[in-house]
Amino acid sequence: MSGEVMTRTAALPGQTEAEEDVTPEPQGTMSMRYMVIARIMLVAAMFGAWEFAPVSRGIKFWLSSPSAILSTLWGWMVDGSLWAHLGATLSVMVTGYVLGCAVGISLGLLFGFLPRVYRVLVPFIAAFYALPKIALAPLFIILLGIGMSSKVALVAITVFFLLLNSTIDGVRDVDRDLVQSLRLMGATRIEVLRKVLLPSALPWIFTGARISVRYAFTATLLAELIAANRGLGFLIEFNSGNFNATGSYAAIVVLVAFSVTLTEILTRVQAMTAMHRN
Amino acid sequence: MRMENNVQDKIAAAASTDQAATVADKINLEGASKTFHMRGQVIRALQAIDLSVRREEFVALVGPSGCGKSTILNLVAGLLPPSAGTVLYDGRPVRDLNRRVGYMTQKDTLLPWRRAADNIRVALELRCRPTSHSEADEKVARMMELVGLKGFENHYPSELSGGMRKRTLLARTLIYEPETLLMDEPFGALDAQLKLIMLDQLQALTQQRRITVLFVTHDLGEAITLADRVVVFSARPGRIRAIRNIDLPRPRDVFRIRFTDVFARYHEELWDVLKDEVTKGTDI
Repeated sequence: MSGEVMTRTAALPGQTEAEEDVTPEPQGTMSMRYMVIARIMLVAAMFGAWEFAPVSRGIKFWLSSPSAILSTLWGWMVDGSLWAHLGATLSVMVTGYVLGCAVGISLGLLFGFLPRVYRVLVPFIAAFYALPKIALAPLFIILLGIGMSSKVALVAITVFFLLLNSTIDGVRDVDRDLVQSLRLMGATRIEVLRKVLLPSALPWIFTGARISVRYAFTATLLAELIAANRGLGFLIEFNSGNFNATGSYAAIVVLVAFSVTLTEILTRVQAMTAMHRN
Repeated sequence: MRMENNVQDKIAAAASTDQAATVADKINLEGASKTFHMRGQVIRALQAIDLSVRREEFVALVGPSGCGKSTILNLVAGLLPPSAGTVLYDGRPVRDLNRRVGYMTQKDTLLPWRRAADNIRVALELRCRPTSHSEADEKVARMMELVGLKGFENHYPSELSGGMRKRTLLARTLIYEPETLLMDEPFGALDAQLKLIMLDQLQALTQQRRITVLFVTHDLGEAITLADRVVVFSARPGRIRAIRNIDLPRPRDVFRIRFTDVFARYHEELWDVLKDEVTKGTDI
């Protein structure tokens, strides 16, 4: 601060413009700080109202309160059950997601590569894409049992169609002139795929991958709600089944934290890779 | 049996004379024409033309815009099949993509996700052109210096000016030393001084590496400066109006040649042919 004052006093008269250039930042950082403070206050007000709302004990039972939710969460953390449920959900979701992404992207690139095959298959893909995948959950349960594999299958198939479509869209969006110029240089089809189609479709694939995280999460949760003995979905279902509203809220809080973290990670990854594209 | 043999002999003889006639020519268009069908309309881009380009010859195509000059390059590159007639390269019809040519299109086909140096390098990364890493590095560095892009190795195409992108494209096309160069108004976007420098370098490179060049331009001066032959096209549908040999000794001083009398005479003569077509072209 003192350095800034020094330079300002040392500046020659008639340099008012330069002087103004020195001090524009504080306003930006201040407004950022205000925004954060406003958000904290908003959250505090909400939780305060929730905590101290003058309602009857009966309603309180269904409404629960932040302090009760926090203590339930604390209890789950201490006895380790939270981590077990979180781990179960995470492993179903990640396995299904990775599987769905891998197959979806590979087939999408393959169809981009073999447009004639794709044209034959379009109506079938469209039909399956339109189908709400959750309708398949009971089928997967009788086919694969109540364990992890039926849930993984549901997540994988949900993610698969999303990634398949965004990859195909990405490949179709490729500038044909770029492909042609590389072919003229003597590139093989595989080289065109690696050097043009894939990098060009990458933003589309990333968008698809980011969007499908939410779908994967939803699918995992629904599968767990339908039939499971562990996982966050089970936790909600189980607590609701026992009329434990606090437990359900606590599980939902975990879910929110979980999904925000996931989306944030993916947004950062995408920002990093897409930095230099025009 | 004897008759059959006879016929076969005749065919063989005909084939060998054909071979002899075309072997000196790198590129041969024989009655090649092109029509496009667009929204139910038939557009005649190029009337049947005959044109041959000799090995190591520099041929410039000039004419009003939309006269089918670029179509000729596309035919030679095998990007388009001719609607009628034949296009021969080294005496053989061009059927698929012609990988023996380097094609610098008017359109910017740099890969937006690669830095300038990596864009120039791409041809050396292909399996058909095995190049060691250090050799590729060295070639890319030399090429970047040649086209005046030293210091911009790590810039993405979106961070380069239009002229710089053109030069990157040129470097990318030249680095793998194709035996034939097809160039579609390569220096249109450059300022006058830089254009002269690039013309000088192009002349040196094509001479030194014995490259056959088919060069499309709307700049008559550029055509006369570089070419062994200038072909003037009519307005659409394109037709050859005049072919003129440019008998200027090589290497030519691209910076001064335009002030010589011979150059002025060529320019005047060709401009007389071209100007009618240009005014016709603007009516369309």
